[in-house]
Amino acid sequence: MSAGALFAARALLSRLLPFALFLAAWQALATSGLIAANFLPSVRAVAGALIDLGASPSFYADLGITLWRSLGGLMLGAVIGIPLGAGMAVSRGVDGLFGPLVKATYSLPKTALIPLLLLWLGVGSATSMVAVMFSTLLPFVVYTYHGIAGVPQILVWSARAMGTAQRRLLWKVLLPASLQAILTGLRIALGFSFVIAIAAEMIAANTGVGKLMFIYGESGAYDYMFAAVTAIVALAFVADRITVSISNRLLRWDDIENRLG
Amino acid sequence: MQAMTEAQIKITVAGVAKQFDQAGSPVQALSNVDLTVRAGEFVSIAGPSGCGKSTLLYMLGGFLMPSAGRLLVDGKPISGPGVDRGVVFQEYALFPWLSVFDNIAYGLREKGLSAHDVRTTAERYIALIGLAGFEHRFPRELSGGMKQRVALARTFAYEPTILLLDEPFGALDAQTREIMQDELLRLWRTTGKTVLMVTHDVNEAVYLSNRVCVMSQRPGRIVQEFAIDLDRSTGREAVVLSDGYTAIRNAVWLAVRQQVTIASRSVP
Repeated sequence: MSAGALFAARALLSRLLPFALFLAAWQALATSGLIAANFLPSVRAVAGALIDLGASPSFYADLGITLWRSLGGLMLGAVIGIPLGAGMAVSRGVDGLFGPLVKATYSLPKTALIPLLLLWLGVGSATSMVAVMFSTLLPFVVYTYHGIAGVPQILVWSARAMGTAQRRLLWKVLLPASLQAILTGLRIALGFSFVIAIAAEMIAANTGVGKLMFIYGESGAYDYMFAAVTAIVALAFVADRITVSISNRLLRWDDIENRLG
Repeated sequence: MQAMTEAQIKITVAGVAKQFDQAGSPVQALSNVDLTVRAGEFVSIAGPSGCGKSTLLYMLGGFLMPSAGRLLVDGKPISGPGVDRGVVFQEYALFPWLSVFDNIAYGLREKGLSAHDVRTTAERYIALIGLAGFEHRFPRELSGGMKQRVALARTFAYEPTILLLDEPFGALDAQTREIMQDELLRLWRTTGKTVLMVTHDVNEAVYLSNRVCVMSQRPGRIVQEFAIDLDRSTGREAVVLSDGYTAIRNAVWLAVRQQVTIASRSVP
């Protein structure tokens, strides 16, 4: 084995080590008898349940619908949040109108809105998506706002000197210059989107992995519940890695330290 | 005869003052600045740091408005930025998300040139500044000297008639700076543009300019002017080592130094 490959293998092992230790601790705790076996299923039982779920087409349908609700809500959040943040950064009027609202709702847990949304929108995808939209709105607004507010004056001036009209500055300078900040906002919003979609499904849906987890939990099928959690964690992880890799492709002009990890 | 001299005046600064609001209290950056620059002239403004010389340049760029006085280009008041005035900033101000080619093409595209003309003009300037092969690099991949060359090229490329240079070589090492100064001198000679440069480097000002204006400490105004009459066709060494250059350089240096000393004495 070459030195490079050996190094890569060691790097991979050291990354997997925490997961291996976690699973070992879990298995030890589950088999120790300290916790009743039906409350904490063993790693083995969860793996079995996961394989079982993996063979079931209806589980993929649930995963698909959860993914649709998360990403659909995320898109809505972006479509509203990015223009709102940009508007607040460039216009004192827009900032005066929405700034106080953003500050006031900053620390509000958006899950608190789910019962209200359920009342308005009923059981189904709309409630989950709107809940996701509300919770992803703020990261988009805040990161876009700070990104644009932090664009060096000198870049704006040099574009103006080269003939860029005031109204085209947003497209030509402000948005590209704050791309790194907006993509950071996207990554944070993506994390929220899965959490909120699952939470909304538990309360206000008849389908989706959230509902499935809720049913398994209610009926005491904890091995299947943990399997569903594992599947959604894996899905969220893959979505995050895809986001990071697309972001870094888009930011290839930027300094390495400004890219996403 | 009078009409002819009028026509030759490119830039007029008359009684210009600028006041800033700094943390609630007003700061007088410039007071009563008068300056005229003829078409094709290379004028430098030298003075202690913080004297407001960059502020004057930004007002000529149309980015800042004066608190009092008038700024004219070709006899018309400046109402905002315009493509007749090209600006080169201290920190280059290249767009980091655009390649060398796209940075140089930016002004050409904004001007509405055809794709073909954009390509040929940008390529000509890339060759001129010796960056052929670097077209697709991003600014972060370039050295300071290379960035500066791109900044000059992108400004020259869309052919403004006036160049406003804000300490354009301040961030470069001594050797690169000299190379870039000669590059600028060559570009200026071949294009006949009107240049107004702000610098704190007396050698640079004297070596490049037809005229050097010395500014006072804040609130800045022009306190002294030196006409520089040097034969630059003999090359840098002959110019810099000549008695004429030394004499005028010393005179300008003393004038600037006087302003710096006054400034440092007034600091409590």
